[in-house]
Amino acid sequence: MLIYAINRIIQIIPVIFILSVLVFGFVHALPGDVIDTLTATDGEEDPEVRAALEEEFGLNKPIYVQYFIWVGNALQGDFGKSLVTRRPVNIELIERIPATVYLALVGIGLSIIIAVPLGTLAAVRRNTLTDYSAQIVSLAGISIPEFWFAILCILLFALQLGWLPSSGYAPLFSEPGKSIWYLILPALAVGFRQAAFTTRLTRSSMLDEISKDYVDTARSLGLSERKVIYKYTLRNAMIPTITISGLQLASLLGGTVVLETIFSWPGIGLAIYSAIQLRDFPVIQAGVLVLGIMVVIINLLVDLLYRVLNPRVGMG
Amino acid sequence: MSKFKISNSFGQQTRREFLATSSAGMTAAAAAAATASMPGSAFAAKKKGGTLRFSTRSDARGLDPQRNVIYYVSHPLAATSGGLLDIDKNMDIVPAIGEEWTISDDMKTYTFKIRKGVTFHNGADVDAPAIKWNYDRVRDPKTSHSFHRSFFKLVKEITAIDKYTLRIDLELPSAVFLASVTYYPVNLIAPNSVDQVDTHPIGCGPFKFVSWKRFAKTEMVRFENFWQTDAAGNSLPYLDAIEGYPKKEDKVRLTALRTGEVDLIENMSYADAANFKKTQTANYNTWDIPQVGCGYLAVQSKTGPFAMDHPNGKLMRQALSHAIDKEAIHQAIFNGLSESLNGFYGTASSWHMPDIKNIKEYDPEKSKAILRKLNAMNTPVAVVARQAYSYMHQTGEIVYSMLEEAGFKVTNEVFDNPVLRKKYKKSDYGVDSTANSYRFEPDQWYSVNVLSSGPSTKLRTGYKNEAADKLIVAARATKDKQVRMEMYTDVESMVNEDAAIIYTHGIPLTSAATKKLKDYQPAFAGPFNISNGGVRTAYMEG
Amino acid sequence: MSDQQLQSRQRVDTISPDDTPFAIRMRRIRTVSRNAFDELLKSRTATIGAIMMIALISVCILTPVLATHPPTKPNYRIRLQPASADHYFGTDKFGRDIYSRVLWGGQRIVLISIAAVVLGLALGIPLGVFAGFFGGRFDSISMRFVDGLIAFPGLLLYLLIITVAREWKLEGFWNDLILVFALGLNTMPEIARLTRGTSMVESKKEYVEAAHVVGENSMYIALREILPNIVSPLIVNATVRLGYIILIIAALSFLGLGTPPPTPDWGSDLNVAREHMESHPMIAVYPGLAICYSVLAFNLFGDGLRDILDPRIQER
Repeated sequence: MLIYAINRIIQIIPVIFILSVLVFGFVHALPGDVIDTLTATDGEEDPEVRAALEEEFGLNKPIYVQYFIWVGNALQGDFGKSLVTRRPVNIELIERIPATVYLALVGIGLSIIIAVPLGTLAAVRRNTLTDYSAQIVSLAGISIPEFWFAILCILLFALQLGWLPSSGYAPLFSEPGKSIWYLILPALAVGFRQAAFTTRLTRSSMLDEISKDYVDTARSLGLSERKVIYKYTLRNAMIPTITISGLQLASLLGGTVVLETIFSWPGIGLAIYSAIQLRDFPVIQAGVLVLGIMVVIINLLVDLLYRVLNPRVGMG
Repeated sequence: MSKFKISNSFGQQTRREFLATSSAGMTAAAAAAATASMPGSAFAAKKKGGTLRFSTRSDARGLDPQRNVIYYVSHPLAATSGGLLDIDKNMDIVPAIGEEWTISDDMKTYTFKIRKGVTFHNGADVDAPAIKWNYDRVRDPKTSHSFHRSFFKLVKEITAIDKYTLRIDLELPSAVFLASVTYYPVNLIAPNSVDQVDTHPIGCGPFKFVSWKRFAKTEMVRFENFWQTDAAGNSLPYLDAIEGYPKKEDKVRLTALRTGEVDLIENMSYADAANFKKTQTANYNTWDIPQVGCGYLAVQSKTGPFAMDHPNGKLMRQALSHAIDKEAIHQAIFNGLSESLNGFYGTASSWHMPDIKNIKEYDPEKSKAILRKLNAMNTPVAVVARQAYSYMHQTGEIVYSMLEEAGFKVTNEVFDNPVLRKKYKKSDYGVDSTANSYRFEPDQWYSVNVLSSGPSTKLRTGYKNEAADKLIVAARATKDKQVRMEMYTDVESMVNEDAAIIYTHGIPLTSAATKKLKDYQPAFAGPFNISNGGVRTAYMEG
Repeated sequence: MSDQQLQSRQRVDTISPDDTPFAIRMRRIRTVSRNAFDELLKSRTATIGAIMMIALISVCILTPVLATHPPTKPNYRIRLQPASADHYFGTDKFGRDIYSRVLWGGQRIVLISIAAVVLGLALGIPLGVFAGFFGGRFDSISMRFVDGLIAFPGLLLYLLIITVAREWKLEGFWNDLILVFALGLNTMPEIARLTRGTSMVESKKEYVEAAHVVGENSMYIALREILPNIVSPLIVNATVRLGYIILIIAALSFLGLGTPPPTPDWGSDLNVAREHMESHPMIAVYPGLAICYSVLAFNLFGDGLRDILDPRIQER
């Protein structure tokens, strides 16, 4: 197991390397002139000024040199300065990444808390009203566009009912109460969609498990239905659920832009999106790279977890 | 004359002697001294203050006010702006840190008398050398944004004659230079704070910067040593603090107001504004800002079938102009909240010119006739617009249909600003659906976008009209407003006939606030940091 | 007699000594398909999904006949009108017929989805087959590349691709092509991995060696043997993906990266309808419902397919 883990960890390195090349390449293919954005010159351009700025930001070197400089600095934790705010990129990212991770984690957590019981119930009470309701709700959840659902939530819970704040953010460690208060609605928006998906997954996994031979065996041995379900089938059915939730978490990290825009949640998605619009290269590069690394690591952890939970699969 | 020692909280300047020599300062000092010793004074009564939570559509892009345009209508950070001169409710220029000024007879030299005793947020003096430092920084292309820099194009030299006198010499005579030294465009920062200008800027406006959490919150507190006082001698502003919350979604911003999470919002969506005004006036005040900007179509006239030097160029541009139905734009985009324009200034402005002539409006048959006569049916036209502003690309969408109906072969694209600028440079578009924010000094519009040597003119339309050029240059050197208006009226009539710029609409804006916000009146074109209104005179009740 | 027995009976019945392995295979597929249709009818989900999908695709094909007005023709005198005999769904803020816009928008979005998935398949299957079958260097490199792509945070990949492509002078059709490319590129990794897994398993089987001994081309073997085995999971994956892509397109429109107006697009229409949500909610209902319906159709059908095809996979 250990050897396998180490092997997998080593395999990540070329992936991260390729990711960095992809990121750098894409970002530098963006149309729109960096210098132009920096100076916002209206037509007239002083070649001296352009030369000075290119020197300052290292834009006058050939592209592969720029890449290696970037990587070299990045390994030391220096991602350069934002072209727009002129603050170190680290400041831009450090404030943003925790917000997204926080939202994604709680969202997924919420989704599991809702989906597992619901999916199990639906599977156990197959083809009853419970099952149908659960299915309908989860089908609705996976087919509504995200931004639409979020806005409806805000209009309902914040405006009509006044139960929750419509938007906003407070950092967790400095203002925990307020932070959680603001978190509820966005996490619900994230969680509902994920829950819909996970409910269906749990339901079908449970159905698979229940129809397996060992269940009949356990029943015939006289074990209570409850024990059969909760002790054995649920545990086995959880394996795909948990691993897929882990993968969902990874993909969520890159996909929260829409919700962050609507809820004014200052996360990394919003930061990168804004940076793309403004052609703030250092921020885009650093942000996408960091996010990508997090995704790769989460995928790795999920893979290892899966093999731990399901020894049948083996290390092949 | 009393002397006061003030030790400032930043500790950057160790000792200062505060000499209150101006009459306003005297009154403030006297009042402060008097009230400090009298228990039952007017001051002991309810003090105006409170914290204003202000939600806007956009967030500031950066903290350096000379490298980033901190828009005085919609960036809360503009509350920290301070400049040599101020703007008032009517968008007129009034004295501020520059108390008095003289203009030489040849209109090439401006001399300003600086108010004594004004300081930056960190206690440093706002004096002539500091202001000169600021203006030199703005003139340097390495450190400033071209928007700010363009206002100093005519400047030859800036001299600090003594601590409180500043002289500016111009290359050409100009009657309008005062507009270049108001707080918008140039927001003054403390010279000794330049190293932290991107992280903690030090200005001289009514509010001090505290913190900026990008995309989340901007915090500002009252500047206790602000130079301005009210009629009773109380120091302005009243508010204790302002918190800015950027919320991009119109619905979400409005919801935040209605649930009481914020006190003031700007830029209500046009669809919501009409309804809100009808149903919510019990608990909320609204302010109609009739013209925060001017919407227009810029026709690329540098090359191609619409070019200035193309023999049929003018007729082709007129064909474009005849095809535009301004009423449709009025209804569809602005929900009837604005007005169609023939010139840059709408009826709410003191610069509105009623006598402008225009060619025939909305006559698609005429467009078709022109195209047929010139054998130019199905001339390709690329309509472009900027992604960031929905009214721009929605207008573009309508213009697309209108031009198609008139017989052009139209394509429609929406771009981010960096890409758009590239297209301007390459003359790679046909019609740009765009807008310009309100200019309280007309020369700022005409000499930048209409004058053939203007930077925007050269970049975007390539418009050339010698007669108009002469008038614009002359108007710049004319002091009489009436005469200037007549000159600009002629210019606009020419612009309409040449149709390289097709004015469509005033861009309206609706702001709204809870009734707990008192005495808040933004200028008619939107700015909220003004000398006799906005956040300087506002306070929260309760 | 159980299904399994019936099938075995059929298989035994039809094999004759002159049959080539290939002919046997084809017959088996035919049998499976016939049984599949029976199975389809048994699974309620699949039936509903199939009906919905067929309805959707028929409407898309019949759009030129069904639409009543040109979808981009505005008319300011009839803005925001409720449903009427002339305009079945009413008119939008520019006075355009919503019904026609939904129809044409549907045709476009379904076409784009299908094209994107086909592109993903066309790129992913060969990549996966070769990687799994031939292994070695090619496998390592291509899988690292695929992992790198997967690590690229979701929506942001689209943002970057579309932003890069926006620069070029493009009319409607080319815009859509770029969208197809971006979506296909993001679909490819999953398909490649799926295919690789199966082809790796197949490549180790005896018949491959047998074919080698007989002197048959390994490429031919690869395609002939592997493809039928991957068809099932791929079809399920592809179908569900179709629905997912529609939601991504809606999200892109929200972020302003959808097709430029006035091309009818469900996502854009839903986005613009937000403005009038409180005064004229119906303009949002139709494109919203259309999106939900299509996503549901694809998801249900995909699920149903999974129900039918899975037992067959487990059988092997």
